[in-house]
Amino acid sequence: MEKWAGKDLFQGYGMTPLLEVQDLHVSYGAASGKSGVALAGVSLRLLAGETLGVLGESGSGKSTLAAALLRILPANGIVECGAVRFDGRELLQCDAREMEKIRGGRMALIFQEPSQALHPALRVRQQVCDVLAAHTDLSRAALRERTGRVLAAVFPTETERIARSYPHELSGGQRARVLIAQAICCEPALIVADEPTASLDAETQMEILQLFRRLREEFKLALIWITHNPALLAGFADRVMILYAGRVAEVGPTAEVLFSPRHPYTQALLRCLPPGLGKGYVGRKTKLAVIPGVAPVTLRDAGRCVFEARCSDRMDACVSGEPELVCVAGKQFVSCVKYAG
Amino acid sequence: MDRRRVRRWFVALLVLHAVVGGAGFLAPYDPVKQDREHAYLPPMRVHFLGRGHLHLRPFFYAERLREGTFDEFEEDTEKAIPLRFFSTGEQYRLLGFLPSRRHLFGAEGARLYLLGSDGLGRDQLSRMLYGGQISLLAGLLGAGGTIFVAAMIGTVAGFYGGWRDTLLMRLAELFLALPWLYLLFALRAFLPLTVSPLRAFLLVVVVLAAVGWARPARLVRGVVLSVKERDFVRAARGFGAGDAYLVRRHILPETRSVLLTQAAILVPQFVLAEMTLSFIGLGIPEPVPSWGNLLAILQQYSVLVSYWWMYLPALAIVPFFVGYQGLANALHVDGVTVKIEGKRGGTHHDIGTRFSPAQTD
Repeated sequence: MEKWAGKDLFQGYGMTPLLEVQDLHVSYGAASGKSGVALAGVSLRLLAGETLGVLGESGSGKSTLAAALLRILPANGIVECGAVRFDGRELLQCDAREMEKIRGGRMALIFQEPSQALHPALRVRQQVCDVLAAHTDLSRAALRERTGRVLAAVFPTETERIARSYPHELSGGQRARVLIAQAICCEPALIVADEPTASLDAETQMEILQLFRRLREEFKLALIWITHNPALLAGFADRVMILYAGRVAEVGPTAEVLFSPRHPYTQALLRCLPPGLGKGYVGRKTKLAVIPGVAPVTLRDAGRCVFEARCSDRMDACVSGEPELVCVAGKQFVSCVKYAG
Repeated sequence: MDRRRVRRWFVALLVLHAVVGGAGFLAPYDPVKQDREHAYLPPMRVHFLGRGHLHLRPFFYAERLREGTFDEFEEDTEKAIPLRFFSTGEQYRLLGFLPSRRHLFGAEGARLYLLGSDGLGRDQLSRMLYGGQISLLAGLLGAGGTIFVAAMIGTVAGFYGGWRDTLLMRLAELFLALPWLYLLFALRAFLPLTVSPLRAFLLVVVVLAAVGWARPARLVRGVVLSVKERDFVRAARGFGAGDAYLVRRHILPETRSVLLTQAAILVPQFVLAEMTLSFIGLGIPEPVPSWGNLLAILQQYSVLVSYWWMYLPALAIVPFFVGYQGLANALHVDGVTVKIEGKRGGTHHDIGTRFSPAQTD
């Protein structure tokens, strides 16, 4: 918390943010009594209507961040400290009933795996309707009418057939759209999308992105878009945040982070992408770049830079303390000693 | 899972229960009506042939004591009594409320004991049919109560976890470990020596439900534990679903298969338990018949070795046992699958949400 005191890292963002996360620590307890840290001090701010892309490899804490924001961590997940201010309320202090109103009402979460996130034995119409019913006092007829409108917004064609279907009768892309319908039906201010397109093919991914672009305009939505695919964020997110070992490595406007990355990890990560087909020949002999070393075990107080062991630019200062987020240019922040001081 | 199999067993059980439920009509006599002249009369034969003629109407011969004996009977071939179908006889109330005098069969002049008579000359067939009503009702009510209690306790323990889970499951273990028969002796000792049949019946039902809930509750808890961590349940939470909604829409439907299977297992077990209780005299008191107290007479050695037809009530439970076990096995699948199949004209969709099958012991 002290790191933040007196320092507004997002100067120039004068407006009150819609969501403000400060120094969030989350860990998972194991039956043996040990606990594994998933997030070790993540802070972020999000304005109304803004899209933040969260990028990171497996185990970097992306999904934990999403679940922690809505306080639906698995039973063994514990928020150790931190603050989540949303819509003028401190979410970590809300009681269960208030949280139920917020989830799906003001802030909705789209789960990772569309095929697992829908009730297998309820019709699509019913599942969307149930979300509406949980948050409004509409009559049955009004509920049905609004459900129809929401479904029509995500399924321009075949609305009626899909409304009558069970999830197992739909394709992956259609299931993802049902989840989106559930998320938008109460017109939330923020949608947290946890890799909603990860299991879809490239064309369907683009369709879903296109749908989000439209909905974002229509409902003035703020979005937190979690993904491990940087290509999806270009031209879609306003800002990008890079997570590494439960910490923010770099955050800034999409163009800056993706095209002139400052943090050695971001640079290495983006180098690992296969070159575009137009630029260079990708054949059997082409070797893709890798980041040497293994993904780290997330620690609470590492006492050093967590990327130090795999970093190509390591210096003596890397092991003398954890680097803080510092502003490098405009709104781009990096946690690396190279830019400190 | 074969939906047709469930239906077949269900229909078979329905027929069996209809036989017992229709005791008033199917039984020729009042189960408590005595005929001391004909005590311990062996099952009588129904004849079609007599004096060299084939009779279209079946008949039986009245029985009389063989000369020089006091408990051996012989057919009095002089007295041929024709069987009458759909005859009027003693007044009864079908299923306890529909008054009627019509019986499937009967005879005038002498009583027909198809399955013999007991020591007071009461018709064993009628007593078996009426006794089944009491025993099965005790089993069904006991199982219903047990399943209800088990669903509540298992859901609370599994869904909320924590100290509630610990408390309820330790309690369940305690109940599993209790020697409930002796507990029942103790309970019975608190009540007056003779209790009315109704109170005795309710006592039996309550005791059955009280001792039986532990195992199904543990099974339900297991299902609830695995369901509540599934992705779609967490996703529903992410959309603002409250506890009541999750229990109603997500948790209880998933426990249905386990509960139905357990109910099908419990009913015959409870009927058997009722029989045990009544056999040792702690259940339904005389003269009201139940399968258990029909067998109680076998405690007398002379009856045990002399009158084999007094064992017949013990066989009555067999078809019910087979039927319920068959139903339990057929039900042994995920309820969700059943539902979807039913709505979609019988095609089988594996929607990948099965649980390990419920225990059937």
